[in-house]
Amino acid sequence: MIGSMTALNHMIDSEMDKLRACVHCGLCLNVCPTYIERGDENDSPRGRLYLMRAVAEGRLPPTTSAFARHIDLCLGCRACETACPAGVRYGRLWEAVRADIAARQQPVHLIGRFQRFVLNRLFVSRRRLRWLFAPARVLRRSVLLDRLARMPILPLRLKKVFMLLLATRPPRIERFRPSVQSDDVREDHDADRTTTFPTRQAVALFAGCVGRELFDHTNRATIKVLQEHGRRVINLKEHVCCGALHVHAGEVETARELARKNIDIFELSRGETLITNIAGCGAMLKEYGELLADDPDYRRRAQSFARRVRDISEYLMDIGFRPGPRPVNVKATYDAPCHLFHAQRVTKAPVELVRRLPGVTFIPLAEAHVCCGSAGIYNLIHPQLAGEILHRKLNNVRRTGADVLLTGNAGCLMTLQSGVIEMGWDIQVMHLIELIALTYE
Amino acid sequence: MTNWIKELQSIVGDENVLISPDELLVYECDALTIHKRAPRAVIFPTTTEHVSRSVKVLGEQGIPFVARGAGTGLSGGALAEAGGVIIELSRMNRILEIDWENQRAIVQPGVINIALTQAVATRGYHFAPDPSSQPTCTIGGNVAENASGPHCLKYGVTTDHILGLEVVLPDGRIINLDRHGAVALGYDLVGLFVGSEGMFGIATRITVRLTRLPRAVKTLMADFPTVEAASQTVSDTIAAGVIPAAMEMMDQATVRAVEESVFASGLPIDAAAVLIIELDGLPVSVDYESSRVVHFCRANGARHVIVARSEAERERLWAGRKNAFGALGRINSDLMVQDAVIPRSRLPEVLPEIYRIAERYRLRMACVIHAGDGNLHPTLCFDGRDADELRRVDAACKEIMELCVRVGGTLTGEHGIGLDKVKYMSLIFSEADIEAMARVRAVFDPRGLCNPGKVLPVHRCKAF
Ligand SMILES: Cc1cc2nc3c(=O)[nH]c(=O)nc-3n(C[C@H](O)[C@H](O)[C@H](O)COP(=O)(O)OP(=O)(O)OC[C@H]3O[C@@H](n4cnc5c(N)ncnc54)[C@H](O)[C@@H]3O)c2cc1C
Ligand code: SF4
Ligand code: SF4
Repeated sequence: MIGSMTALNHMIDSEMDKLRACVHCGLCLNVCPTYIERGDENDSPRGRLYLMRAVAEGRLPPTTSAFARHIDLCLGCRACETACPAGVRYGRLWEAVRADIAARQQPVHLIGRFQRFVLNRLFVSRRRLRWLFAPARVLRRSVLLDRLARMPILPLRLKKVFMLLLATRPPRIERFRPSVQSDDVREDHDADRTTTFPTRQAVALFAGCVGRELFDHTNRATIKVLQEHGRRVINLKEHVCCGALHVHAGEVETARELARKNIDIFELSRGETLITNIAGCGAMLKEYGELLADDPDYRRRAQSFARRVRDISEYLMDIGFRPGPRPVNVKATYDAPCHLFHAQRVTKAPVELVRRLPGVTFIPLAEAHVCCGSAGIYNLIHPQLAGEILHRKLNNVRRTGADVLLTGNAGCLMTLQSGVIEMGWDIQVMHLIELIALTYE
Repeated sequence: MTNWIKELQSIVGDENVLISPDELLVYECDALTIHKRAPRAVIFPTTTEHVSRSVKVLGEQGIPFVARGAGTGLSGGALAEAGGVIIELSRMNRILEIDWENQRAIVQPGVINIALTQAVATRGYHFAPDPSSQPTCTIGGNVAENASGPHCLKYGVTTDHILGLEVVLPDGRIINLDRHGAVALGYDLVGLFVGSEGMFGIATRITVRLTRLPRAVKTLMADFPTVEAASQTVSDTIAAGVIPAAMEMMDQATVRAVEESVFASGLPIDAAAVLIIELDGLPVSVDYESSRVVHFCRANGARHVIVARSEAERERLWAGRKNAFGALGRINSDLMVQDAVIPRSRLPEVLPEIYRIAERYRLRMACVIHAGDGNLHPTLCFDGRDADELRRVDAACKEIMELCVRVGGTLTGEHGIGLDKVKYMSLIFSEADIEAMARVRAVFDPRGLCNPGKVLPVHRCKAF
């Protein structure tokens, strides 16, 4: 115990400059979902940084349960970084502290322990993942799932799991399918398509591990839209998990191994760009340079890898987005995934894309860049706080009167959709690429 | 567990009381981290009733207490001196009523300043006091500090926008203070309470005035080769009878820090000083006044004068200015901000003198100035772990204060005396002055339990 305590101190020591960069101005308080909900400085970014600093300065033993709890209650949404004028890199510090807490103690929650097994044993191999998700895929198609998710006697967390699975069903888009009356269709479109994109540039798609197992429909939509933009899409069959879940849970070494594998695979593919449609993966992939900074063999390669990663929305804006010709008549709003808005700072592209879709009425969402409470498996570990945060989000969504809620991240999508189902509202949550894809049909 | 803690728990609920030292640590300071006092407990009331009953329990035990909003204070005001309890109002954050007809709103004290403005903006109103800490600070905290902001130059400070208060007195009784319209019936106790730095009781309900958003706004940025030239522009503008909505100055060190931050607003980093000037009102007068201001800028040697062409550009300029304090964290991690006010006309001569003081003590300084009302924030950026540097900071602060007082200025423009400036009170006030203040305070708080140790240099009414 003592040994690892000094390890934590050592780690924080090396991050001391980053910690000291916080001038305690408090400008990050009211962007923090946990502070907004609880109003407790201990659950604010400024407070958490203060606790870390106190540990670093030896004023607070890192073994106190309060320290672990308040670090644990953080969603890792990084909204505080976007608000911080001093440039404090909260996310990095938090991940480092989590890693150390994880190494030092048994996870506080049973779920946490199970999570560690799943992450280190199952999420490292493509094949094992297929097996892991096979029953889920079967169950998803069955009406049994609807029953299970609504069974009153189930424990809260188990119910949540079923709800989340329910939420991964492909969106019911038949009702939005564009009308094919030809007068609606923009005539110049087909001509454009061939002239604007003469080269068949190859891009690689990072389908995501959960993405590949449960969000095939999103990946197919992504491929379609890329092809419509003249891109040849290489499906990176062999890629492994990006490692975000591992870093979040403090399993950094496993994350590094995964990163090395992904770099190898992408380099072999010869794709120009690596496209993701999952904000959480994108944020992680873009940070490979820092993750492998101390690895002499991979440092350079990781940096060049990271530079080639693009979120699909960002990429489409970069190459000159052309929506399809067919109008989709829906009222849509957009909730910004934290890992896109705060971590990748892709703030405008998604909204810009939606605004250009024919037939779509875009309604801005209040507090769109505040976390929905999904944050990995946060909603399973802290169901109550996550529930309060989600409620606030759903009420904002409801106020827009939109019938489609768009997002850009698998985790957010599941959380939001399950919330909508629970409320019994008729709102379809979907990835924005799927709405875009509809305009080409 | 001590009995009074059990009693507090039974009033506000177990989960709304913090007593573990590990969790009290973060409550040991506000935004001026140089002063630290950990409280004995923190409670989170949600109703006036909670506050009143808690205060009574604490009174019976003779335990001091202090209200806290968001802890953005810059004078150590919300620290629990003498083993006190913090009454944290962050959960009393509801807007209770908006009365459009009479242009007023009733809020709980923990409502965030900008949240009120956002709630009324759609109908063309705002809450005019706009401190730079606006996205975080509470209206209760604004009332206690009589906070000000860039636009208070034209619109007046917090007290000009407070119409009524419900206050829990330090003995737990609840009183209602009112000044309907501009004048109060009887004594203006609202006026007395606003700016009392949390020492006269705890505001639990606040009636505020809502102000119409201006019809037209024009925001200019001008940069100057010398600080003197910028100060002269400010003096010339006001002397000519133009009252801008805001007139803010940033020196080179500040501009550089801002430009490195995520709030970079494209300011020239080689300028000695930058002015941000905003004019608002009717379109014709805005046009006329801005042409006058442009003239004064040019006449004083401004290198560029740029007018924001869109709302986005305007917001970017303001984001840079309003995040300036935090951005200074890029210079060094400990900041000591001063809040002196001097007669505006003395700016051109006093500013260079302040830089000389910092230089003499080998300290890095950055300065933002509410130039329109002569409120200076020279901010020393240092490393608090260096004992010698800390001593130099202290000495430099004292000299800066003395300089400002010498030219007819005063100690604080908006951050309050709090804990930090108690030591300077005698620079301005006589024994008799301070005695008078202490007696007023004793009317509200005869036992001195409510936020003791602040403002008044002599602890006359010590409870224990
Ligand atoms: C980056 C930054 C920029 C700032 N810019 C400005 C500025 O432009 N102008 C300006 O004036 N100030 C500014 N400040 C200072 C500070 O934000 C203000 O003083 C603000 O009013 C404090 O509000 P708070 O809610 O944080 O109060 P706190 O810091 O929590 O408390 C301040 C004082 O108010 C008392 N108090 C709080 N609530 C109540 C209540 N309900 N009843 C009675 N007493 C109460 C406390 O006891 C304490 O004495 C700035 C601070 C920062 C960090
Ligand atoms: S905004 Fe940045 S500097 Fe200010 S308190 Fe938050 S983390 Fe610290
Ligand atoms: S990452 Fe999100 S939840 Fe965590 S402190 Fe920052 S804003 Fe709060």
